[in-house]
Amino acid sequence: MNGTPQSDPDKFEDPLNNYEPTPYASELHRVLAEEAIDDMQSTPSAQVTVDTSIRGATEMLSELKVSSLLVVKGETLVGIFTERDVLEKVAENYAALADQPVGEVMSADPTVVYETDPVGMALAGIAVAGHRHVPVLKVDGTVMGIVSPKRVLRHLSPYLD
Amino acid sequence: MGFRGELDQDTVGNLPLRDAIAVQHDTTALDAVKLMREKSLGCAVIVDQGGTPTGLFSEQSLVDMLARDLSLADHVVGDFTDAGLLVVRSSDPISRVWDAVERDGLRFVLVTDDEGKLIGVTGQRGIAEYLAERFPQQVLVQRLGNTPWMQQREGA
Repeated sequence: MNGTPQSDPDKFEDPLNNYEPTPYASELHRVLAEEAIDDMQSTPSAQVTVDTSIRGATEMLSELKVSSLLVVKGETLVGIFTERDVLEKVAENYAALADQPVGEVMSADPTVVYETDPVGMALAGIAVAGHRHVPVLKVDGTVMGIVSPKRVLRHLSPYLD
Repeated sequence: MGFRGELDQDTVGNLPLRDAIAVQHDTTALDAVKLMREKSLGCAVIVDQGGTPTGLFSEQSLVDMLARDLSLADHVVGDFTDAGLLVVRSSDPISRVWDAVERDGLRFVLVTDDEGKLIGVTGQRGIAEYLAERFPQQVLVQRLGNTPWMQQREGA
């Protein structure tokens, strides 16, 4: 005997008997509230290591035609380097800074979302937190990708009517 | 009426607009960058003598210049404009901006009055904020960990 009281199957009440799914005014409401970011197929992200030079990272932004790079140390996300960082922290002093590591000017500890978060969370990261690109992490904390306004709108478009 | 119908009926003038930075085609990239930093805006709009938009100098233009080791002080914005330029009137439907962001991936859309004079900039950020305001229960209540949102806000 382990002390656990014996349950009587005849007296068992399934708590889910009273569960009623949340009613939504439209499919768009449901998708924002319930569908996971994982369903959006976030874009694979371009990544650099924290000791990549600012010159190397800037050239990568230009060649790949992307507006942000995730900065990683091993498999851990430590920052994000964006076009905005180039404008705000680098542009007017580029010659002097170009050979410094990108870790010196990246935006550290960026706002992130997880693959299991709802689509509305990604939109909150963009519209409320004010970030154009939001890194997406797997539930184990490793990097999965990045979500952009274009990706969110493309995911929502089939549900507009 | 679905949300697409609302996008077709509501006008661009109801989107969040940012004040545009207007520059001439012969403004140096360095001067444009200083204005963009000052206003925390990702682009400067190149206008002609009459104030009509003719091009866009963006953060992407800036990155391309730096990647080529070009001096910002020695080059003018008119030589480094973005490929995609969409100008809409404030009386146009919001669906035009939605489609430009979703299908063409445009970041900025320039907005003029009915006479063609530049009155602001919208685009990805404007559409995202509009959407968030229309679905507050699904978006604005979401929490993003412990990040102090407003402290890290990039601007448009």
